[in-house]
Amino acid sequence: MSNPSSQGPSILQFQNTVKDYGSKKIGPVDLSIGKGEIVGFLGPNGSGKTTCIRLMLGLIRPSSGNVRVNGYDPISKHVEALNHVAYSPELPNIQTFLTPTELLTLVLHELEFKGDKQDEIRRVLELVGLIEYRDTKVGKLSKGMVQRLSVAQALIGSPELLVLDEPMLGLDPAGSAHFREVFREFAMGGKGTVFMSSHMMNEVESLCTSVLIIHSGRILFRGSSSDVIRKVLDYSVVTVEAQGLPQETINSIKGMPNVSQVTINSQTIEIIIKGHDDIRPALSDLIVKSGARLYTIKTADNMLERAYIEALKKNGVDR
Amino acid sequence: MESIDKMSRIDVIVSFIRYEMKRAIAKRKVLALLAFTILLDTFPYYALSTATNGTGFIPLAAYPYIWVAGVFGLQPLFLNFTAILIAAGAMSEEYEQGTAELLLSKPVRRNDYFAGKFLGGFILFLIILAFNILLSVGSAFTFFGPQASLEILPGLFIVQAFSSLIFYSLAFMLGELVRRSSLAYIFSSAVFFASFIISGYLGLIFSLTGREFYRTVQIYLPTSPANSLPVQYASPLLPQTVGIVLRFVGADNTIVPTIELSVAILLAYTLVAIGVAAGYFWYADISRRMG
Repeated sequence: MSNPSSQGPSILQFQNTVKDYGSKKIGPVDLSIGKGEIVGFLGPNGSGKTTCIRLMLGLIRPSSGNVRVNGYDPISKHVEALNHVAYSPELPNIQTFLTPTELLTLVLHELEFKGDKQDEIRRVLELVGLIEYRDTKVGKLSKGMVQRLSVAQALIGSPELLVLDEPMLGLDPAGSAHFREVFREFAMGGKGTVFMSSHMMNEVESLCTSVLIIHSGRILFRGSSSDVIRKVLDYSVVTVEAQGLPQETINSIKGMPNVSQVTINSQTIEIIIKGHDDIRPALSDLIVKSGARLYTIKTADNMLERAYIEALKKNGVDR
Repeated sequence: MESIDKMSRIDVIVSFIRYEMKRAIAKRKVLALLAFTILLDTFPYYALSTATNGTGFIPLAAYPYIWVAGVFGLQPLFLNFTAILIAAGAMSEEYEQGTAELLLSKPVRRNDYFAGKFLGGFILFLIILAFNILLSVGSAFTFFGPQASLEILPGLFIVQAFSSLIFYSLAFMLGELVRRSSLAYIFSSAVFFASFIISGYLGLIFSLTGREFYRTVQIYLPTSPANSLPVQYASPLLPQTVGIVLRFVGADNTIVPTIELSVAILLAYTLVAIGVAAGYFWYADISRRMG
């Protein structure tokens, strides 16, 4: 069921990689990420997402198999492998005594950045909306601001691969929307690659070009959101928002081919269909002809979440 | 091209040195150590000046050399313990707070990070050491008048720094191995105090039995060369009158017989500790946040 292949030249590869912690074993992982992809990395807690990220950053050694980043081993050729790779960790632990400017200056030194450091710092702080807090100690920033700073230290310099562990955690809706745009722009035209671990399915579905579902270090599914949904679910869900829908029209909807369930909640109707045939054109015709006011008709927003839960269930993970 | 690369690496190490110094200062224990240094280098001089005033407790001839009381008196306990306090947290606190992960996820050589952390903490220690020496001399001048033989201070500073390197390196190593600052402090302090106490017992047993074995073991304990070397270096350069002051602060007894042996033992302990810490740091996984 797994599909380790990717499009384009590979920037990241796991080949039969196993990390054995003694009490727990993650892998073998076989995975390849192509340049320009925005990959959503999904899996329950303890499934091996963070282990995979730490393996690719050379923070931990694989027990067997190998990892290649930009074609290099991130342990023995750490500098070569991680050149142009940036990481924003989950729950970023940033020294509280530093200011954003001091942290970013340190990072630029680490990156051996050759350009104007002050300009670059100003650029990323403006990008993440922290320019006003550039000289405030990290200890005095809110959780959301620290998250923004974590993303800023990842975006600084000229990264080509962004590795993000729960990047939207702690952000307000406006912040999430802004960062979605930032990441999308980063990957635009295939110039940058984003590898994002997240539990926020809506974020993944709206941002990522590719989705990976992992459990115990095994890749269960790989493909675009719609591919994963089609592979995992044997049904689709359409939601309709309409006003003044006559009962006979509702009955007609129930009688449509493959419709297995219709749930009405005020003006919203949820229709479950066997298979993945698109019934929206026929459905809209039916509703409009009935004289009802049709506001929206669309595939349900949470299809990836349903697919994810189903995928885990099918693999014996019941949570 | 190669020299540019070297310059960049030095730049990276210097940035880690600065970072480590700032980090250690932010922990406030350094400020506490500085406050403690001020107390130890001023109050005893004041107390001594009132106690010796006209009593002949310390002969007038020793007054120009009273600065050695502060400089040597603090080496056996305070300076070594200061080295432990700074070094034990240098690596371990980064693991506990999860900050090592962020710093090492960048394209930096682990060696550069290691060197920056080691040197940053040690430079901070050197600042405290210099402060201790200057304060001792200043207090001695204030309470006992002009001081003599001060030309040996730069050399003495280097020797004391080298002597303290042994416990600095051991604590640094233990911090890397156990990756918990509290455990690193406890283990390092245990090594230090055990060495200190055992050395005393072995000296006593040797003086009672005359058996060389006890003396040999005592010589190779880490506190012995650390406390002997500064005295071995300075004694030939100071007049005999100073012996009274050294005796007064308990720094007149050198356990290690020769200066060369002291240097050799100190070097051996230091290099082994740095080697073990570097090897473990290179090989082991970078821990996630703990504590």
